[in-house]
Amino acid sequence: MTGVDTGLPPRPSLGSPRPAALASRRREVLPSGMKTALVQSGGVPVVALRLVVEAGSAHLQPGQIWLDRLMHDFLREGSATHDRAQFADALATMGSSLDVDGDEHTTVLRTQVLAEHAAEATALLIGLARAPRFPVEETARLISDQQRWAEIASQEPQWRAHAAFRASLYRGHPYGAVLPSGSTMASFTASDVRAFWERHTGADRATLMAAGKFDADAVIEAASRASDSWQSPAVASVAGPVVRGERIVRFVPRPGSEQTTLRVGLPVPAPGHGDYIALEVANALLGGSFSSRITQNIREQKGYTYSPSSQISTRPRDAYWVESADVTTPVTMPALNEILGEIDRLRAEQPSDEEVMGITNYVAGLSAIRSATLSGLLDHLEFLAQHGLTDAYSAGYEAAVRSVTAAEIWRVTRDYLRPERLTIVAVGDPAEVRSGLEQYGAVIEG
Amino acid sequence: MAPSDAVAAFQVPVERATLANGLRVVVSPERAAPVVCVAVYYGVGMRLEPRGRTGFAHLFEHLMFQGSPQMAKMELVGLVQANGGLLNGSTRTDFTNYFEVMPSHTLELALWMEADRMRGPVITQTELDNQRDVVKNEIRVNVLNRPYGSFPWIDMQERAFTNWHNAHNGYGDMVDLDAASMADVREFFDTYYSPANAVLVVVGDADPSEVFAMARRYFEGLPAAPPPPEAEIGEPRQEEERRFSRVDPLAPAPALAIAYHTPPVGTPEYYAMGLLHQALAEGDDSLLHAELVSKRGYASEVDGGINFLGHMHNARTPLLWCVNLVHDTDVTPNEIIEAFDEVVERLREHGLDAAALARARTKARASLFSTIADQYIPGFGLADLLAAFELIEGDASHVNELDARFKAVTPELVAEVARDYLRRENRVILELHAGAPTGAEAVS
Repeated sequence: MTGVDTGLPPRPSLGSPRPAALASRRREVLPSGMKTALVQSGGVPVVALRLVVEAGSAHLQPGQIWLDRLMHDFLREGSATHDRAQFADALATMGSSLDVDGDEHTTVLRTQVLAEHAAEATALLIGLARAPRFPVEETARLISDQQRWAEIASQEPQWRAHAAFRASLYRGHPYGAVLPSGSTMASFTASDVRAFWERHTGADRATLMAAGKFDADAVIEAASRASDSWQSPAVASVAGPVVRGERIVRFVPRPGSEQTTLRVGLPVPAPGHGDYIALEVANALLGGSFSSRITQNIREQKGYTYSPSSQISTRPRDAYWVESADVTTPVTMPALNEILGEIDRLRAEQPSDEEVMGITNYVAGLSAIRSATLSGLLDHLEFLAQHGLTDAYSAGYEAAVRSVTAAEIWRVTRDYLRPERLTIVAVGDPAEVRSGLEQYGAVIEG
Repeated sequence: MAPSDAVAAFQVPVERATLANGLRVVVSPERAAPVVCVAVYYGVGMRLEPRGRTGFAHLFEHLMFQGSPQMAKMELVGLVQANGGLLNGSTRTDFTNYFEVMPSHTLELALWMEADRMRGPVITQTELDNQRDVVKNEIRVNVLNRPYGSFPWIDMQERAFTNWHNAHNGYGDMVDLDAASMADVREFFDTYYSPANAVLVVVGDADPSEVFAMARRYFEGLPAAPPPPEAEIGEPRQEEERRFSRVDPLAPAPALAIAYHTPPVGTPEYYAMGLLHQALAEGDDSLLHAELVSKRGYASEVDGGINFLGHMHNARTPLLWCVNLVHDTDVTPNEIIEAFDEVVERLREHGLDAAALARARTKARASLFSTIADQYIPGFGLADLLAAFELIEGDASHVNELDARFKAVTPELVAEVARDYLRRENRVILELHAGAPTGAEAVS
């Protein structure tokens, strides 16, 4: 069909970019040992706050899978000074609620309040982290909430695929255990939660991050006071995973599944490694953006899937690259062949300078765009903290991205995206999918 | 607690112009970062798609990324990304939007691209078939292949509304998607994608007068077209409580949704309803969270809101205020409804006390600010609000009246709206029964 042809003037040529000033960061270590990172940003009178505490799922004992999630819920039960209802009312009066989440290495208390309450909310968060209530009488209710979430997760193909992928990559390491069994959770107690929290938290293991338009002096003062003499325990660091480098093919049966949920990936160098930024660019070119090769192929040319995407998932000194896609069941093998084929193609042939110029512009531009939002800024501060990187990394990031060459992308793809080391996971209908997977290697089920 | 003057006085700059062909242009400059959000909103969404073509508004949105007179398939996406930007589009109940966030020196390119896109998709049967497959996979991944995929959005709309426009599944039935033809594409474009049925919004690092000049350069060549026909989207008043149930074969735990028809958008009663939502269902301090989650342990969260595909400010009436929760099998829907009714009836009888009303207002204000200070896409939350107010009320600058509208709601009006709208005869209840195996054996 034809659109309306009404003399659109020619495509304009572009001027030169206005350089982005990196929002200034105020970093201090308070007398208590707590670290702070504060960024003034945006014109709306709100502040986003995060208290990042170094206690995550990797610190758990075997048999404690999701004790961290139970702890997140327990943290919403209030502090020594504010019971659950008082805590919720206090934050609501400032405009918001408390969210608690975390990852393998951190627990994050977060909120976003009207800026005039920045100091007050800071004190509230730190007060909670120092003296959470962890009420024994709420244990049964909170455990049953987590059991319900676990049952829902077990019905979601993406969770099943994630769990199988992690189990293959990190066998025997806490990173490999992401879905619990309902019966293990039944034995968790409030004392387990308290013991875990107390063994891992203190001012030395906490960082207060804030972004928005707020009074930074008042926040520093509130944080100093609230964290004063908060003692930190000695914590042994978590041993890193043994990186596996072998082809694993794993199938998770889900009878009648409308789609097959795929994960294809392998360990790669972590942030801070000299090749990491080139890998980020390679990822965006291969599967990590709308115009990437895999997405153009299996979505825009073939229509096998809606939301294919690749990413690099990181932890301290650890990372993996993974392509994820939910594909219509009957085209599972064609889709897998195209994904593997695109990896092979990038390994076989250096990409053009034009393609690389476009994709480096995209990766650099995205970083500038994310830095113009409060959550994007705070995510980046967490990323720096997690990987031991400094503000110099942020300052040099765009230039580093733009300097990545086609030859480097080709090299890191050949060095790291090795087909013989790929783990392939498929969650789908056994009758339709199981036998076809054998062509990729011996299939492990479950 | 009274907000400080600075907070109460917060306003966003809004400048507006209308081109000769009826296209409205709205600019809100914010020049701290060299980033600009360009969004084009068309006044058509899922509600207005043709009968027998459920899902078509959304399929059409996909087609608008497939090529236009000056850009081949994927050229627009490639141009945005290669210039350091991101882009997306979405189909809502009453609007369809297309936007990109770009480095501000590429603003003119973004306007050129949107002007070309407004001239219409240039596609063949191949692109239609391809995007039909993509959309079907979107429905599989988001609805069919997961627990609670259509709950409560599609399930509740289908049961709570009687007018087909409001009730039908906007994601689309597979058979309707299969029937969509090139002729449908042409007709839908000609009917709804005219300049006068669209709003161009620019938020961020841009000078309003330059934007207006560029908008004239690239968009004014588009001819004016007649407005789309008036659609009958009204709903008859519901006179008695209605109750339904369905089985979700993938859900491991039952769920419950309770929905009430809201007051008309834009009225004082509607803002009172917004505050009732804040007090009842928003945040850990809310009355329903306290009763159903904290006190009784029936669920781990109570979710709720007005407008399944957005928030209370970006859709037209008729709308539902709906709350929903996933619960265990050891409590019956009737027990939950009884506890729910205790909270609601207390409110209908006594209204909200001064402290609770003040808290609801503060939460509404903070939620508005959070929308404006979009969490991940700079400028988009505000662009969306401006476009919605331009399309619904005819003036984007009304976004600056929101705080006053919430402030004007009196305790008496809250009580009155609770009595008039949170009536059982005005509600629809949907029980979702769990059809998947549960227990430890289901978790491997």
